Order: sequence, then C-alpha cells, then structure tokens
Amino acid sequence: MAQPTTLQPPAASATQDAPRTGNWDGGNEPFKASYGKLMMWFFLLSDAFTFAAFLTTYGLIRHKHEVFTGAAEKFVFNTRWWPVPDRVFNAFPGLHGVDVPLGFVALMTMILILSSVTMVLAVEAGHRMDKNDVQKWLLWTILFGSTFLLSQAWEWSHFIHGSDNGMVMADGSVFHGANLQMNEYGPVLFADLFFFITGFHGTHVLSGVCLLVWCFIATTNGTFHKRGHYEMIEKIGLYWHFVDLVWVFVFTFFYLV
Amino acid sequence: MAAHATDETLPQGEIAKPNTAWIWKTFFILVGITAVEFVFVFLMEPSTFRNSIFIVLTIMKAFFIVAEFMHLKHETKGLIWTILVPMALLVWLLVALVTEGSYVGEVLQNMFK
Repeated sequence: MAQPTTLQPPAASATQDAPRTGNWDGGNEPFKASYGKLMMWFFLLSDAFTFAAFLTTYGLIRHKHEVFTGAAEKFVFNTRWWPVPDRVFNAFPGLHGVDVPLGFVALMTMILILSSVTMVLAVEAGHRMDKNDVQKWLLWTILFGSTFLLSQAWEWSHFIHGSDNGMVMADGSVFHGANLQMNEYGPVLFADLFFFITGFHGTHVLSGVCLLVWCFIATTNGTFHKRGHYEMIEKIGLYWHFVDLVWVFVFTFFYLV
Repeated sequence: MAAHATDETLPQGEIAKPNTAWIWKTFFILVGITAVEFVFVFLMEPSTFRNSIFIVLTIMKAFFIVAEFMHLKHETKGLIWTILVPMALLVWLLVALVTEGSYVGEVLQNMFK
C-alpha cells in the first residue's frame, strides 16, 4: 500500500488544484519574495557569471598586451599596443571627421539610464494598479531601448567600416575598419572582444525590448489588471535593470579604462 | 517604504498618487557619477590610480542600480547575501586572471631577449 504523502495528494481529492500550503510544499516564502521574482534573481546571478567571464577574459587579454605610455596625442594605432579608447570611439553620427572622444557612447549611456528610470516608473505605476501609467512608461522604455539598439547598430557599423586614416600594413597597403581577423585599431583580439561583449549585451537589450513589447500588449489587454497585480512588470523590470547594470561595467572597462 | 505604493485603502476605482521622487533622485545620482567619470577621462592622464577611481565610481553606480532600481536594499537579508556572496567569488576570479594576464604578457615580451 502506497502511503499518501504531501507531495502526492490523493488523486480523487476535490482540492487537487488548490495551491499547496505546507512548509515544504511551496507554501512558504523564505525570502519574502515570490517564486517568480526569486527565480529571476537567480537567473540574473547566472547571467552575471556569463558577463563576468567575458569581462575577466577582456582583463586578462588586455593585461597581456603592452600599455602605451606616451602622450595620448602621439598615440598611433598599432598591433603592438592596446588602443586608447577615446581615440577609437571618437565618431558621432552626422559629424563626419569631427573628433568627439566618447561623445556618442556618453549619449548611449544616458539613453540606457533613462530607460531604466522609465522602467522603475512603470513598476511603480503597477504597484498602484494604474494601467494608463504602466502603458505610458512601458512605451517610453521601449522607445529608449530601441534607440539604444539603433545607436549600437550605428556604432558597430562605424567600427566595421573604420576611420579615414586606417592602419598602414607592413607591405605599405592601408587597412580600414575591423573584422574578426584584422582591425585598424590594435591587436586582433581588441575587435573580437568588442564584437563579443557589446554584441552579447546588445542581444540582451534586444530580448529585453521583445519582453517589454509583450508586456505592453498584455497590459493593454488588461491581463495583469484581471490577475490583480503587475508582478510580471517587476520581473521584466529586474531583467531590464540588469542589462543597464552590465552596460555600466562594459562602459567602464571598454571605454574609460 | 518609499518604494511601495501606500497601503491605505482607496475607494473603488481610484488610483493612488504617484510616488516618484526617490526614482528621480537615483537618476540624478547616476547621471552625476557618469559626469564625474567623464571629467576624469579628460582631465587626468591614464594611470592605475585613474583606473581605480573608475572602478570605485562604477561600483557606486552598480550599488544604486541594484539597491534602488532592482529594490534589493529592501529585500530580506537572506536574499541580499544570496546575491552578493557569489559576486565576491567573481571579484577573486577577476583579480587572479588579470594578474595572470600581466605575467603572460611579461613572459611573451621577454621570451627572445
């Protein structure tokens, strides 16, 4: 005779679909956070490991290369030295040939921080069950998120096509731009890491925008209102802030240091 | 808690007033720290000291995003430690491999001398 356990409720029970409430049946919230939010936190922790692996790789490879010690103006792109970031990222859309060191990346950073703010505003509106405000702030977040993606597309395109000067190769020819085998800025791995790290971050932003669009549709349809809470917005919000957080680190280690 | 909507019971169909001052405060702190970073980029020659300033400022920004926007500061202690302790391991990994990178570079540059 099989003993009925708490994990296997009797099949004929009328309360089969009722949530289990026992301490070891999921009826307890040890961290006072719902299952969904807790799992989002753990997912983000694992995602942080992935990005940390990328940035650690970047640190190792960068320290493996020689550091240019002279004045920044004297620096020329060379495979011997790791490039000086404000000499690589100095282009701005519509200002061809003008030297704007880190100007465009400053704008991108502002856009992403702003999108984080509108995301918290959406979560806050969700707490108040204010459907119109949730819709409004989600739309702003989608707008800023998409603008960031487009900016990154421009940045990639510029990085791939390169500057007017390019790098003079050993045989006297000039190479412009970057791909996975060659680039005009410095060691091969510089461009590789740029593509992998900013690309992986951009993919996260793209998934975030897709999730936000889905959230906006569900909000508009009243799904969350009928459910009685807007916790889904909070969970997507956690993900979105994490993407912003990763950018803070990418920004420091790729563009500033 | 400032981050929560008021618990006062509202009449049916009425919506509480937005409570957003803390959000904008955090926003201006983040923008301010980023501005300070740009001041250091342009007014200081690259050095290990400048890099440490950047790392400290980055961790400050990360603190405000995680604590306020992701609301971790207002969660239980157990959850806070569950997230922060594994991060300490990552810091160790980073320091270990960056040191290793310097060593590998030194060996390669002096190989044929």
